[in-house]
Amino acid sequence: MNAAYLGRRLASMMLVLVIVSLTVFAITLILPGNAAVMILGEYATPDQLRVLELELGLDRPWHVQYLGWMGKLLAGDWGASMRLSVPVGGLITEALWRSAALAAAALAMVMVVAIPLGIVAALKRGTWVDLAISFFAYLGTAVPEFVTATLLLIFFAAPDRGWFPAGGFVPAAENRLLFLYHMCLPAATLSLILTAHIARQVRSEMSDVLASDYVRAARLKGLPERTVVLRHALRNAMAPAVAVISLDVGYLLGGIIVVEEVFAWPGLGRLIIYALQNRDLPVIQAATLVLATVYALSNLVSDLVIAALDPRVRYA
Amino acid sequence: MLDIWRHPTGLIGSCLLALVLGAAVFGAVLAPYDPQLFQPLARLQGPSAGHWLGTDQFGRDILSRILHGARATIAFGVGATLLGVVAGAVIGVTAGVVGTWVDSLIMRTIDGLLAVPDLLFTLLIVTVLGGGTGHAMLAVAVAFTPGMARISRSAVLSIRTREFVQAATARGESRIYIMAAEVLPNSVGPLIVEATIRVSFAVLLGATLGFLGLGAQPPSTEWGLMIAEARQFMFRNPWCVAAPGIAIAMTAMGFNLFGDALRDVFDPRGRR
Amino acid sequence: MTNAHLNRRHVLAGLASAASLPGIVQAQTGTPRKGGTLKVSHSTRIAQLNVLQLSGPSEYLAVDMIYSGLVRLSPTMVPTPELATEWTPNNDATSFVFKLRPGVTFHDGTAFSSADVVATFKAILDVATKSPARAVLDMIGDIVAVDALTVRFDLKVPYADLPVSVAHANARIVSAAALKQPLTLLDTTANGTGPFKIESFDSSRFLKLVRHPGYYRPGQPYVDVVEMYLFPDLAAEAANYLSGAMDVMLEVQQADFKRIASAPNSNALRIPSGRFVNVVMRMDQKPFDDVRVRTAMAYAIDRPTLVDLVLEGLGRPAKDNVISPGYRFLADTPDVSYDPARAKRLLAEAGYPQGLKIPLVCSNRPAIRSQVGIAIKSMAQPAGFDIDVQTIPHDTYLANVWRKGNFYVGFWGMQATEDAAFTLLFTTTAAFADTAWNNKEFDALVEKGRSSPDEGERRRIYAEAQALMVRDRPSIIPFFQDVLTASRSVVKGWSAHPLSRTFYVENVWLERA
Repeated sequence: MNAAYLGRRLASMMLVLVIVSLTVFAITLILPGNAAVMILGEYATPDQLRVLELELGLDRPWHVQYLGWMGKLLAGDWGASMRLSVPVGGLITEALWRSAALAAAALAMVMVVAIPLGIVAALKRGTWVDLAISFFAYLGTAVPEFVTATLLLIFFAAPDRGWFPAGGFVPAAENRLLFLYHMCLPAATLSLILTAHIARQVRSEMSDVLASDYVRAARLKGLPERTVVLRHALRNAMAPAVAVISLDVGYLLGGIIVVEEVFAWPGLGRLIIYALQNRDLPVIQAATLVLATVYALSNLVSDLVIAALDPRVRYA
Repeated sequence: MLDIWRHPTGLIGSCLLALVLGAAVFGAVLAPYDPQLFQPLARLQGPSAGHWLGTDQFGRDILSRILHGARATIAFGVGATLLGVVAGAVIGVTAGVVGTWVDSLIMRTIDGLLAVPDLLFTLLIVTVLGGGTGHAMLAVAVAFTPGMARISRSAVLSIRTREFVQAATARGESRIYIMAAEVLPNSVGPLIVEATIRVSFAVLLGATLGFLGLGAQPPSTEWGLMIAEARQFMFRNPWCVAAPGIAIAMTAMGFNLFGDALRDVFDPRGRR
Repeated sequence: MTNAHLNRRHVLAGLASAASLPGIVQAQTGTPRKGGTLKVSHSTRIAQLNVLQLSGPSEYLAVDMIYSGLVRLSPTMVPTPELATEWTPNNDATSFVFKLRPGVTFHDGTAFSSADVVATFKAILDVATKSPARAVLDMIGDIVAVDALTVRFDLKVPYADLPVSVAHANARIVSAAALKQPLTLLDTTANGTGPFKIESFDSSRFLKLVRHPGYYRPGQPYVDVVEMYLFPDLAAEAANYLSGAMDVMLEVQQADFKRIASAPNSNALRIPSGRFVNVVMRMDQKPFDDVRVRTAMAYAIDRPTLVDLVLEGLGRPAKDNVISPGYRFLADTPDVSYDPARAKRLLAEAGYPQGLKIPLVCSNRPAIRSQVGIAIKSMAQPAGFDIDVQTIPHDTYLANVWRKGNFYVGFWGMQATEDAAFTLLFTTTAAFADTAWNNKEFDALVEKGRSSPDEGERRRIYAEAQALMVRDRPSIIPFFQDVLTASRSVVKGWSAHPLSRTFYVENVWLERA
């Protein structure tokens, strides 16, 4: 791997994160108007409100607040949640791992299902198999997560069937099997849209590669179809597919917000919804920044993988 | 345009779109009932001759609500996308045409904004603006802007190197003239394709916001909100959830298929 | 609710030595078995465990198990002994002496004494603590430790209901030592005297409590472990309960109640309560400064149908009187039947012969507010009201509409006393006087009722106050909402309370244990 390329990509990622942090900070600066009211709720008395507003200490100029926040953040002090009264760092790390497990499970499901589907559709191009897969692919991207999640709840977790738990979470440390069992429905919901999307991509990439001179030459050489498809075509179709998967991490991070809420999965998505509903500024700031970092990192990794698969990219 | 109907995807997409747009235009006239009419004695009924798609928890006719909601839903999707496209195009074309450090600054900012997932970005903005249909639409538009800006910029860049633009530059035309007369009309194609597909995302985002209680608010007939309100009753009358769910899927699929077919027409060499 | 009319002195004497309450343990047959784990599901987050500050519905269950107060309100809203075994007022109800229970220990083994009581109440009265209990206890002038097991409350004004106020769910006793440390420690840790102590707490999903072996009621609690699981999605919560994964569903939604009540091995409980939704009509602004407009609104609502539509029938129609049948001093006030023609006439008399077009603002939390709004819009149409229902986010509502707008939907829990119900919303100096009624006569009646030690006189005074309230109708109170909860049949002794603040989990036992 070319060190200069890596350095350049890392530098641009840092810049992106600085911009994200500025944006998030600006957004939370506009929010606090209602923060004190929101935290104390309907039962607040005016003197309690005053006490809280002083505690929040939002009277300093914005750049002082921003630099102070960033400085502390880099030093590892993420502040304390205004609502949950615990350090944000621990809150986010814990939630992040839970979300990551869910996302990884969803991605694994996608790989196992989407790539073969795409290959089959490309090989059977124009037949009813291809049509069925394409239809499913379009349908998959047209149904929002909350509808999929609701339908899965009705079909697989209805009380009289009870094949799967209707949401909830068991730590892996406590019981690994139950942990995976609770993960099935949310991961399936998440993977549906991605499967549709990636199967479509793999199909079109594979179709192109299969039609290329290069594959035709391999076929003419008399290589068995299996070797042609798996060795030659798939490898060439993978680079674009990896790029799409990394883009889909963005979808995944968005989808997780809804899916975690519906299935009571205590990850980053639920934390963000809770923080937004309750105007928990430190949590909103940190969680958004963490999600953006994850996204940026996944883009970086995909760039590196693509560069490794396709040497021309490194010099682009 | 006839080309579109030769693709099976284009044909299906057009049919779905025609159905949904028809509902948006004529829905209010076609609806058999007032969408807000309470029928306390006919609550949570399944499909029947009187109520083709059944009734919800207040005994309101689901078909009438969906027909009325079509306009709100389409207007939301198209409105948010249009706003996002226009804002994105202005920013992207500016960046592409002006170039230099302005381009770098705009593009780095856009990279930063694109690093926040769409739904999260939309949620943040809606929270700042304070919920409701209008604010949700604005939020989706803002969330779309960076993506659209990047696409229009790259469209501009690819056109800038083409002969007719270079010829205009050689003729000594002003930058603004080149932008308005040569670059913009020629970058419209990819923008329209992207915008059509984005409408389906906008509809899905709007429905999701409605579901999370941050978009349309009761008693609106927006489809996502209909599902959110009816979810509690889903075991008693699954149609409360299924009917608006199908409506959302049809709309999103319609725009998606149509957009894909459009892309093939605009760019026959395109691979999809 | 007949128990609510028990003579006060009789109650104080009779319960001084009683360890358990009639109607709670005895309602279940069989001998309690020890052991087992009770799994409870809830839909609102346990954000914190600071008993002095919290206000979430699920948080109240948690601290009812972890902490004890001096007294606790029984399901019939009578103060019963907890850490205090008996209490005596002086003649004019300006000073109360509480005798404390001997031999009580905190979870860490230290002994409980009057110093802890004094420290706790001083903390509550401190503004910086931000305790919801302060509003109902601010009549306390001083609190004195007479000896290690006796405290005296000296009041600024006569206040007959002090024992009820002291039973406030946020006024549980925290050790004096814990109060010397930073208060934020109380958010995640607890050292109480209650039947259970914290084993582990993850505010995003889970709270696990285990038996406190030194609990002062011998042999109790029965279950070894209580686990509370958070399910933010209501449909998922119901499915989990019905599949048997959970033993108790803390709060059942109206939409699910019939399904849960008819499920096998499930007991659904429905407790009449004084929770209400009200339509606030600000009296110092047009058009509601005219009593005819407010009365027209009252007659434009079909209350029994509203209960059916919005509450699935799980509530009781109300007559704009904030005092529900659960209170001791309920007075009979005139019925308000659905009469759009009469409402139309009243509107015309008030100068709106063409009807009245007006926006009604509803917060989006909880959803019942806009449901009521939408239903009222449709009911009031024939009476000439053209209501435009506007649902807005809760924070915008709190910041811009609540206590400022002239027509919006409020949502309130039941209060422990008549006095608390009146001074929450309706007196001139009420904590949240959002109707701007400002009626001196009503204020005086409430003042007199609170300080009068004589039962009969209080009944007469409170009846007058209620009559005044329905005459002027500062807000529409269309119904009282029942409290709904459910437990599986292996769970014995699970109960609910009209205030949803006390739960008596120490009486619960499991048949499978």
